[in-house]
Amino acid sequence: MSWELFWLLVEASGLTILYSAVSIVVGFFVSAAVCAGVLSSNRPISAAARLFVSFFRGTPLLIQLLLIYYLLPQIGLNVPSAVAAVLGLSLCTAAYQAEILRGGFQSVPRGLIEAADMCGLSAFATFRRIRLPIAVRLTLPALTSEAIMILKSSSLISVVGVVELTTMAKDLASSTYQPLPIFAAAGFVYLVINLVVAGFGQLAERAARRGHA
Amino acid sequence: MNRRALINWSLALATGVVLGTALPSAASADVLETVKKAGVLKVGTETEFAPFDFIDKGKHVGLNVDLFEEIGKEMGVKIEWVTLPWDGVLPGLETGKFDIVAGPATITKKRLERYKFSPPIAEATVAILKKKGDASIMKPEDIAGKPTGAGKATAQLAQLQEFVKKLPKQGEVKEYVGFNEAYADLAAGRIAGVANSLPNIAFVAQTSPVFEVVQPTFGVKTYFGFPENAAPEYASLNDAVAAAMAKIKADGRMGKIQKKWFGVEFDTPAEVKDPAI
Amino acid sequence: MNALSSIFGYLHGDDGWNILSGLANTIILWLVGSVLGAALGFFIAVARRYGPKPVDWLLKAHVEVIRGTPFLVQAYLLYFGGPYLCLALGDGSVCLTLEPFHAGLLGLTVYGSAYYSELFRAGFEAIPRGHIEAATTVGFTRWQTLRRIILPEMTMLVLPSMVNMTILLLKETAVLSIISVKELKFQVDIIGNRDYAFVESFTILALVYWALVEICGAVGRAAEARLSRYRFAHS
Repeated sequence: MSWELFWLLVEASGLTILYSAVSIVVGFFVSAAVCAGVLSSNRPISAAARLFVSFFRGTPLLIQLLLIYYLLPQIGLNVPSAVAAVLGLSLCTAAYQAEILRGGFQSVPRGLIEAADMCGLSAFATFRRIRLPIAVRLTLPALTSEAIMILKSSSLISVVGVVELTTMAKDLASSTYQPLPIFAAAGFVYLVINLVVAGFGQLAERAARRGHA
Repeated sequence: MNRRALINWSLALATGVVLGTALPSAASADVLETVKKAGVLKVGTETEFAPFDFIDKGKHVGLNVDLFEEIGKEMGVKIEWVTLPWDGVLPGLETGKFDIVAGPATITKKRLERYKFSPPIAEATVAILKKKGDASIMKPEDIAGKPTGAGKATAQLAQLQEFVKKLPKQGEVKEYVGFNEAYADLAAGRIAGVANSLPNIAFVAQTSPVFEVVQPTFGVKTYFGFPENAAPEYASLNDAVAAAMAKIKADGRMGKIQKKWFGVEFDTPAEVKDPAI
Repeated sequence: MNALSSIFGYLHGDDGWNILSGLANTIILWLVGSVLGAALGFFIAVARRYGPKPVDWLLKAHVEVIRGTPFLVQAYLLYFGGPYLCLALGDGSVCLTLEPFHAGLLGLTVYGSAYYSELFRAGFEAIPRGHIEAATTVGFTRWQTLRRIILPEMTMLVLPSMVNMTILLLKETAVLSIISVKELKFQVDIIGNRDYAFVESFTILALVYWALVEICGAVGRAAEARLSRYRFAHS
C-alpha cells in the first residue's frame, strides 16, 4: 500500500474527527436535559424523555440517519448532508449518554444531597454543584467509551453522503483490490485517534479524582 | 403489556407507516423542466463499483462519469454527482434527492416493477473469476464440485445458482454482502471462483495481479441500465436521457467509452422491455 | 402505494423463514457473545487490578487496541486475513481459516470483553477506599471483599452502562454481514437488494431491533429494581 493511499485515509479521517467531536459535544448537552427529564417527577416529561431514549437507542443509527435525511424534507425541512449527519449522530449518542448519566446520578450518595439541602442550596444549585459533577466523575470511563463508540459509528454518516474514513477505506479497497492492507491501515488511523481520546479521558479522570480527594 | 410498552409499540408502527407512505411521494412538477431551469442534472451513485464508478487517487472516475458527461452535453446541463453507499441510493431516487441513478444495475423483471431503466449501457452476462494460475478451472463447467460465491440477492448470484444446479457435481454457492467481499474470500482461498458480470471482473483481473477471468460467459444474456424514477413527472426526463444516449451510441462515443473502461465494445439493444430474468 | 401490506408480504413463505433464521442467528450471537464478553471482561478487569504490573500493561494495550478500532475492521481482518496466518507444523501447516459464524462469535466476544472490562474498572474505582480498608481491617480476604463489598456496591453504577453496552453489541452483530454471517441484517437486506424494496427492509430492521432493545432494556430495569433494594439496605 502506497503513502498516497494512506494519506487519503488520513485526510478522510479529518471528517470523522470533525463530525464526531461536534456530535459528542452537542449530544452531551442534549443528554443532560434528557437525563434530567427521565429522572423528573413530572410524568409527561419523564415519559417523553424515556421515549426519546427508547427510540434513539433502540433503532439502528443507519435508519435514524435515513429518516432524518429523507423524511424531514417531506415535511418541508430540507436538511443538507452535514446537518443530517450531526443531527443523527448527536441524537443517537445523547440517548446513550443520558443512560450513562442516569447510572451516575443514581449512585450519588444520598447523604451529600441531604447535606446540600440542609445547607439551603436550591434544587438547581444542588443539581449543578453537587449531583452533575459527581455523576460525571463517576461515569467518566463510560463517557470516554461512548465518545470512542461515536467516533467509530460515524462511519454510518456515509449514507447521507459524507465520505469519512471507513467509506474511503471501502472505496480504496474496492478499486485497488487490496482490502487487507487498506483495512489494517484504516484500523491504525482509528486507533491513533481513539488513543488520543482515551488519553484525554484519563487526564480528566485523574483531575476529577484529585478534586474528590 | 404495560402502558409504556404500548406507547412504544404504537410509535414503532407509526414509524413504519410513515416510512412506507411518505418516502415515495415526491414533488409533482415536471422534473425535466426543473432540471433545465437549474441547469443541473443530479446523479446519485455508489463509488464501490469499478469500472463504472470508483475512486482513483481520491477522485471519482469511471464509465458512468464519462458517459454522463456526454449526456449532460447533449441535454445542455451540468452533472452534479451525489455519492452514497448503495443502501442509500435508491431511497434517494424515490425521494427526489437526485434525478437519476448511475449505478448501474442489471435489468430484471422484478426491478422493472418498481423502477424504469435507461437504455442498456453494457452487457451484464456472467463469467467466472478465479485465482491466477489455478489450472483446475479452464472453462466455467470446471467449477463443478468446487465452492463458489457471488454478492447476495444479485442477478449474478441467481445465474450462478442456476448454472451450478445443472453441473454433474454441485459445490457450495456462498453469498456475500457485496462482490468485493467475495473477491477477498477468493484471495483468502475459501472459494475457488466468483461469478460476476464480465465488465466488472475483466476490470478486476486487469487491476489486480491475483485474479484471472475464465472465458466464456454462461447463463442467459442480461444488460446493465441506469435505474430511473417511474413516477409520471419523471417521464419527460427519462425520455430526454434515452434520446441523448441514443445519439451518443449512434455517433460512436458510447463505443469509445466502453472500449476505454471495458477493453471491448458491447452491442446493446435500444431498450430492454422484457428481460430474460 | 401501501408499504405496510408489502412488508407483511415479506413476512411469510421463504422470505419469512429466512428472516426468522436470521433473527435466530442474531439472538444467539448476541446472547452468547455478550455473556462470554462480559465474563472475559470481568477477568480482564480483575487481572488488571490484582495482577502484577506487566499483566496490567499487556491487558491495557489489548483493551485500547480493541476499543480503538472499529468492529468492522476487526471482523474483516479476522475472517479475510486469518487464512494468511499459518503455523508451520511437522506435516504441513494450519491456518486460521474460520467459518463466518465462528469468526463472528469470536470477534464479538473479544470486542465486548474490552468494553465490559472498562465498565468493571470504572465500578472498582468508584468504591470509596474507606470501605475496602474497613473490609480488610475486619479480616475479609481479597475474594470476600470483592464479593461482599465491591460487587454489590458497584452494581447500581455499572448496570445501566452494562445494558448500554449489551445494546451496542446487538447493533454490532449487524456488522457481521460483511463476513457473510447470515444474521438478521444479512437476510433482510436480501429483500432490499433483490426487489429494490429498501423502504420495506429498513422498516422491518428498525422494528425488530427496537423490539430486541426494548426487551433488553426491560430486563435491565427489572435487574435494577431488584438490586436497588441492596442499595438502600446498605446506605
